[in-house]
Amino acid sequence: MKVKWGCSLPKCEDIKKVLIIGSGPIVIGQACEFDYSGTQACKALMKEGLEVILVNSNPATIMTDPEIATRVYVEPLKVEFLEKIIAKEKPDSVIPTLGGQTALNLALELHEKGILQRYNVKLLGADPQVIRAAEDREEFRGILDKVGARYPQSEMVRTFEQGLLAAEKLGFPLILRPNYTLGGGGGGVAYSIDEYKRMIAQALHESPTSECLVEESILGWKEFELEVMRDSAGTFVVVCTIENFDPCGVHTGDSITVAPQQTLTDTEYQSMRDEACKILNEVGVQTGGANIQFATHPKTGERLVIEMNPRVSRSSALASKATGFPIAKIAALLAVGYTLDEIQNDITKVTPACYEPALDYVVTKIPRFAFEKFPGAKDLLTTQMKSVGEVMGIGRTLQESMMKAVQSLEFNAEGFPEINMQLEKISYPNSQRLFHIYQAMREGKTLEELQDLTQIHPYFLEKLFDIVKVENEIKSAISLDADLMLKAKRYGMSDALIARLRNQKTKEIRAFRESNQIRPSFQQVDTCAGEFASETPYFYSTYWSKVSAPAKFRQPIMVIGSGPNRIGQGIEFDYGCVRGVKALQRKGHQVIMINSNPETVSTDYDTSDVLFFEPLTTEHVGEVLRWTSAQGFVAQLGGQTPINLAPALVEQGFHLLGSKLEAIDLAEDRGLFAKICQQLEFKIPKAAMVYYFEQALGKVREIGYPVICRPSYVLGGRRMEVIENDAELQSYFDRHAEAISPERPCLMDQFLEGALEVDVDLVRGQDWVLIGGIVEHIEAAGVHSGDSMGVLPPQRLKDSTCERIEQLSSQLADKLGIIGHLNLQLAIKNDEVYILEANPRSSRSVPFVSKATGIPLVDLGIEAAMGTRAKELKPERFQWRNSPVVSVKGVVFPFKKFPEADSLLGPEMKSTGESMGIGKDYPEALMKALLSSQVKLPSKGEVFFSLREKDKMELLNLANELIKMGYTISGTRGTANFFINHGIKAMALRKVHEGRPHCVDRIRDGHVAFVVNTAKGRVSIDASFDIRRACTDLGIPCITESDAAEAFLLAITHSRSGTSDVGALRSMEVM
Amino acid sequence: MKKVELGYLVLETGEIYAGLWHGQSLPNRAGEVVFNTSHSGYEEIATDPSYFSQIVLMTAPMMGNYGVDKASWESKKLWIEGFVCLQLNNSQRDHAWIQRLEENQIPMLSEVDTRQITLRLRNGGTPWGALVAAKTPEEAQQKANTLIAEKRKIEKDWVWLASRREKEIRPGAKANGPRVGVLDFGCKENILRELESRCSELVIFPSRTAVGEILSANVDGLMLTNGPGDPGDVQVAPGTVRELLGVKPIFGICMGHQVLGLALGAKTYKLKFGHRGSNHPIKDSLLGKVYMTSQNHGYAVDLISLPAHTKVTHVNLNDNTVAGIYSESKNCLGIQYHPESHPGPHDAVGLFDFFIDQMIKKEKS
Repeated sequence: MKVKWGCSLPKCEDIKKVLIIGSGPIVIGQACEFDYSGTQACKALMKEGLEVILVNSNPATIMTDPEIATRVYVEPLKVEFLEKIIAKEKPDSVIPTLGGQTALNLALELHEKGILQRYNVKLLGADPQVIRAAEDREEFRGILDKVGARYPQSEMVRTFEQGLLAAEKLGFPLILRPNYTLGGGGGGVAYSIDEYKRMIAQALHESPTSECLVEESILGWKEFELEVMRDSAGTFVVVCTIENFDPCGVHTGDSITVAPQQTLTDTEYQSMRDEACKILNEVGVQTGGANIQFATHPKTGERLVIEMNPRVSRSSALASKATGFPIAKIAALLAVGYTLDEIQNDITKVTPACYEPALDYVVTKIPRFAFEKFPGAKDLLTTQMKSVGEVMGIGRTLQESMMKAVQSLEFNAEGFPEINMQLEKISYPNSQRLFHIYQAMREGKTLEELQDLTQIHPYFLEKLFDIVKVENEIKSAISLDADLMLKAKRYGMSDALIARLRNQKTKEIRAFRESNQIRPSFQQVDTCAGEFASETPYFYSTYWSKVSAPAKFRQPIMVIGSGPNRIGQGIEFDYGCVRGVKALQRKGHQVIMINSNPETVSTDYDTSDVLFFEPLTTEHVGEVLRWTSAQGFVAQLGGQTPINLAPALVEQGFHLLGSKLEAIDLAEDRGLFAKICQQLEFKIPKAAMVYYFEQALGKVREIGYPVICRPSYVLGGRRMEVIENDAELQSYFDRHAEAISPERPCLMDQFLEGALEVDVDLVRGQDWVLIGGIVEHIEAAGVHSGDSMGVLPPQRLKDSTCERIEQLSSQLADKLGIIGHLNLQLAIKNDEVYILEANPRSSRSVPFVSKATGIPLVDLGIEAAMGTRAKELKPERFQWRNSPVVSVKGVVFPFKKFPEADSLLGPEMKSTGESMGIGKDYPEALMKALLSSQVKLPSKGEVFFSLREKDKMELLNLANELIKMGYTISGTRGTANFFINHGIKAMALRKVHEGRPHCVDRIRDGHVAFVVNTAKGRVSIDASFDIRRACTDLGIPCITESDAAEAFLLAITHSRSGTSDVGALRSMEVM
Repeated sequence: MKKVELGYLVLETGEIYAGLWHGQSLPNRAGEVVFNTSHSGYEEIATDPSYFSQIVLMTAPMMGNYGVDKASWESKKLWIEGFVCLQLNNSQRDHAWIQRLEENQIPMLSEVDTRQITLRLRNGGTPWGALVAAKTPEEAQQKANTLIAEKRKIEKDWVWLASRREKEIRPGAKANGPRVGVLDFGCKENILRELESRCSELVIFPSRTAVGEILSANVDGLMLTNGPGDPGDVQVAPGTVRELLGVKPIFGICMGHQVLGLALGAKTYKLKFGHRGSNHPIKDSLLGKVYMTSQNHGYAVDLISLPAHTKVTHVNLNDNTVAGIYSESKNCLGIQYHPESHPGPHDAVGLFDFFIDQMIKKEKS
């Protein structure tokens, strides 16, 4: 006989309509994990019968899909717009804890400006006192003193002079932590006074409150993070403990981390847990999720508190995926009045949510970086986050999970390929350190040496070394027997790695493995280490268990995800995958999702019918397809990753849905593609394939400068450059020699200078083609499509040209034999339409286009892939031109995080995220998109110009307009004199090399409101670098392209008019 | 290539699991096979007398990671019959946990599919089994059967086997605190530590101590400790406690709670696979909190058999079993889990204060 407990408290009855604030465009330190948390929270609250109003300026998110909330506002995350939404919707409460630092800061501002009070809106989850207590470092230290917790010695610095005194007192190295910045922005480690002076100035600038904590160094200490939850009754649970592989000194977002913690005794851990609970209580977190970071001394065990966040975070997304505990969902339910014991554990369905997950596996997270995108940026990891994405590997042991995570990075199928080990890549934390440590172990460096160089806990090094030992066993074995094979697989080695060690082909290894029945088994992530039966189909593979019996699913279809976020392949593709899953489910299929990215909505356990957290490699995807007996797989939603996997999977006998391999090949292979275009008599830029410099030099005479060069099969325009002359061409081949070979030639295309570029997204079925929309780029040709702003409907294209583009695109889709998505990039010059690129898959622009037009493009792509005919679908219902609004796509860049990088835009993609501005006309949409991208729109002041020759005449009119609007003009001597000669009052400033005070001094002194700087050619680009860098550092708008300058003028004009409205998204149904 | 030693976990129900056998010439041993879901605390668990006669399988895969420390011992020896996990830390630098088990003649098995065994124990209950080194499964089976049959013959009153045989007096740390008697059923050291910090003196009695001797010690309250085995097999103590009901404030933990239940006239029953871990949620209506607890028990008190004056004040929220009982009129409290933790969270430690500051104070006034 058991006791029955009823729910003691119903949810708060006075909460009926909730506003959820999203986190805006993806930036380093605040990425799609907040789409995951926001989406989960919206779903939970909608299920509770609440009205949910969502605001987020990021169109690439699932959370801004119209069906996720009652009403979705894609509007700038600025107080004035939030106030308009609050006035219109009259919510009774706001949840600010789900949209990262952005949402918390906005909530504080709404409170401070009295807006919440005026409209009688409650803050749920965290009140202003809590936000301040956790975020204001001095207040936080007061709290730590109160509960008896220790923290690193430090000084709060508000001026440069105070900073110098603090450094004297604390000694080097010093850690800088500016207040209220996300991802530790503006922070870092200073080892010398020179370095420190530069950094403290920047840190004070970055902090919205001009405060920076200067802290004694705890480099080399062990670092831990506890993901915790608390409800209104005071119940406290630790959802997950995370231990950093990298010791203190590297931002936790940039560290390799392992869950659960591995090296603390129970006594040490429980004492840490107690302290976390006390801090949470004292900060005053009433309900919701939080995380607290600790450092412990590796020898003495002394413990310090590093920081806490009173909200869901990147780590809470990781913790949710690692444990199966849906932190954001529970946080949302707690915010509206539930207590933990009243909420059911979704995974087990029999136990309550007030528990601490028990893991019978190990999880490893490895960040993914993009240093190669920012020439000049130092690959050095500090307390300022620099990674753009992450992967998670689940295995029964640390080694298995580590190896799966490494393979998930999608660098190399072997996981750890042979590399040229460099000692300095081991002794300084950097993005490649793990690989160099592993290589050093291969080459016989001792664990003691490596520990001395890295200060990584020997436990982790030993576990890594275990794998190297197995490598050696494999290498030295006379023959590979089944026992050794099983051992290798249990240590997480891929078939590809074993193949190289044995000098065999991967296929042979796989065949040997299969003939010995060495197959992975699939185990559940069940939150309770098997203690309770669980039905939730969330799986990972392991070789530590007996092979599981094949699973039985109803008409299963797999959607392959997009792997770790990287520049060029991010959240937009997760949006596609999630929509695709839902569309397939509506057609009666059980959908299998496979992905390796813990930040995503697609890896939420209730997004699909069956979730596999696995590396996206042929081996792992193939095993899942086999075990689930999937009828087919969808490869066109997850970006380039699944497209690259498709051929090998088809070869293994799995069924590819949508466009066939032949169609993909036609589109991807530039040579074949060019032939098709010729057959159809479409224009393409003159092009050549070359693989060494002399050959290129010959070909370029036929094409004519400028040319655009890039290696074949690349995403996001990696290594893509506009080349103006022979010297630059030589330099290009010197710098990219390793990426160019006869197998992977370099593509050299005629560069259509000044052309207008557009993106076309279309879907083709067997007997229908539907144009989703045409996005007109705002910048002229030469800027990567991912980096240029775009507008839908086009503002400058003639209607007749649009029609021609539509017709041309449809014909091309037919000719290629596309079934499903096709994305085209076109250039229009002198009314001629050129095809630049065709992507046989859903593209980066699909979410934007869908939200701008209301057309459910991904759902239609699934209809196409599943063979729906025009008669049933009636595609003519969807007319992209019927949209009554104008939508502009804005872009955000991470230049601030890379102090040595240039912000000049080019053919290589550098942006991390996008925003969307919706307006009744083009200027309003532009203004909103720019505001959403955190670009200031100064209403007065000095505008500084430094222009290349060609732009001077073009921008004369713009300068005139600015004068009329009351701005003043300055410029480098050449530009200023040009303006003066044309009757415009302008002040001439020195260039940097002309001596001081020069134009950069004037910018850094704060005299300049915004800058228009266009440059051409290496020399001129290098000369103007300091101008752009100063703008980046100080957050001054810097426009580097003449068409963008025209657009900027429209936006500031509209902004000064002060008339803007907000509106909810609309959408259309497929069936 | 290094020779790999094979070992087996054999269940009396016939299942047999092969894995890696560690250590030199360790004995084959038998016991009840149970699983524990704690991530850490292997040394505390192995030295907890409540694990007497049990082979413990840890569901967390990596064990021995942080070495050993005698300060974490919960008694003077290791009580488990065997240790099973997926991977045992065995590096040049740190193989202390393997060494510790070896020194104490505890067989251990790793590289075995612990999840599969856990699911078996969850679904089919916790059978007896044995850890044996053998060349073949058949040999293992045979050895195991003999061992299990042998082991089953031991004394049924496990509490008596785990209890002290001599009375012990320990000074407390609080001069003006009460004197508390402890009836040792296989006591964890941390129960004593918690009491010491709140008491002036502890008088620790063997489990079969007679009522008279306890009364003559003139203690202010009585603690009934944790201990191994089936409460139904415990001799003497239930009767002793029955006579002390209403006479002394009584606080029972785990086995102590079950014996208290029996003394109150309630029945106990065996849970299918027990509760062993550090993450069990408890609703505590005495302290008015919901919190996480450390648990280790295979039996529970049956709600229906409790007398009217005894309230169920603590419930395990995972399965709604009785986790604590309190009788105001008899001034006694029974707690099924481990407020003394070690291993596990400290959330319930306030119950010791309740015992000292409320139950004993009330008796005195």
